[in-house]
Amino acid sequence: MAERIRLEKTIVTENDRLAAALAERFDDAGLLVVNLMSSPGAGKTSLLEQTARRLTGQLRMAAVDGDLATDRDARRIAEAGMPCRQINTGGGCHLNGRQVAEAVEAYDLAELDILFIENVGNLVCPASFDLGEHRRVVVSSTPEGDDKPVKYPVAFRSADCVVLNKIDLVEATDFSPASFSGFVRDVKPGVPLLELSCKTGEGLGAWLDWLRTQREAVRCRAAPSPE
Amino acid sequence: MHEIALAHAVWGQVTAEMEKHSDRCLKQVHVVVGALSGADPESLEFALGLLVAESEWPHAGIDVRQEPVVLVCRGCGRTYPMDEMRLTCPACGGADVEPVRGMELRLESLEVE
Repeated sequence: MAERIRLEKTIVTENDRLAAALAERFDDAGLLVVNLMSSPGAGKTSLLEQTARRLTGQLRMAAVDGDLATDRDARRIAEAGMPCRQINTGGGCHLNGRQVAEAVEAYDLAELDILFIENVGNLVCPASFDLGEHRRVVVSSTPEGDDKPVKYPVAFRSADCVVLNKIDLVEATDFSPASFSGFVRDVKPGVPLLELSCKTGEGLGAWLDWLRTQREAVRCRAAPSPE
Repeated sequence: MHEIALAHAVWGQVTAEMEKHSDRCLKQVHVVVGALSGADPESLEFALGLLVAESEWPHAGIDVRQEPVVLVCRGCGRTYPMDEMRLTCPACGGADVEPVRGMELRLESLEVE
């Protein structure tokens, strides 16, 4: 006799469990953890280089960087002044909780203000893998076109901040900043959108302010009340 | 591309449930994939098929259904299906909206005999 067993159970993956453990570890250490996602070449590494050059000495920062191969990005970030551990995923198209847990062993998290996780360049899979981060940043760039938010809605929907890089190239492309911001608003109403250029430095101040604000928000939440 | 990992997670839930019904035979698995969950229904069905074929119920069927995104507007209270990738409220234009369906991957039900 056939019978239907109703379950309606949300699937919890092994990565969800690892991410929850990472989130607890990050909260205990009291630092801000930012997961950066973008398509290849949008400027995640450039953004971290500029961040390192401008905030080193003010905030204690480190990074882990995911790529299929080479340690080129980690070297660039380290040369700019931010310690960075490279994770090579082989063929893997995204970082997972296990890789991040292993990579952060290199750091004393309680001695850091911000840890950046630079994900593998890919706007699809990284969005589905929580890494225990406090904030997600999606980086897009003008040569990619202004309709990326609606073509990759899962990533943009999950963003706490959208960075539009290479704004200095807008004249050389058909990119419409107004269309882009409209598409961002369609997918994630109210999300901060920061237009900047890692090349010229334009707009980087707003990015650094956003980081400082998020750092403070996480620190306030973590610190026991003085009363 | 990560649907194989998701299939393993789904299958883990299925087998855990079947342990509670060890005298029954699994006939059909029903899975729901939210349109904004980040999983592809066809790839997930394919990956689950591989696990079923290796299992003690190799003839069980797999049904993976995509669930559209449904949003609720906190401004005017309207509940509406997402039109393409536009999330703003079609009634009041409000931006303070929350998905109520279509974000998750869910094991909906099992058919057993």
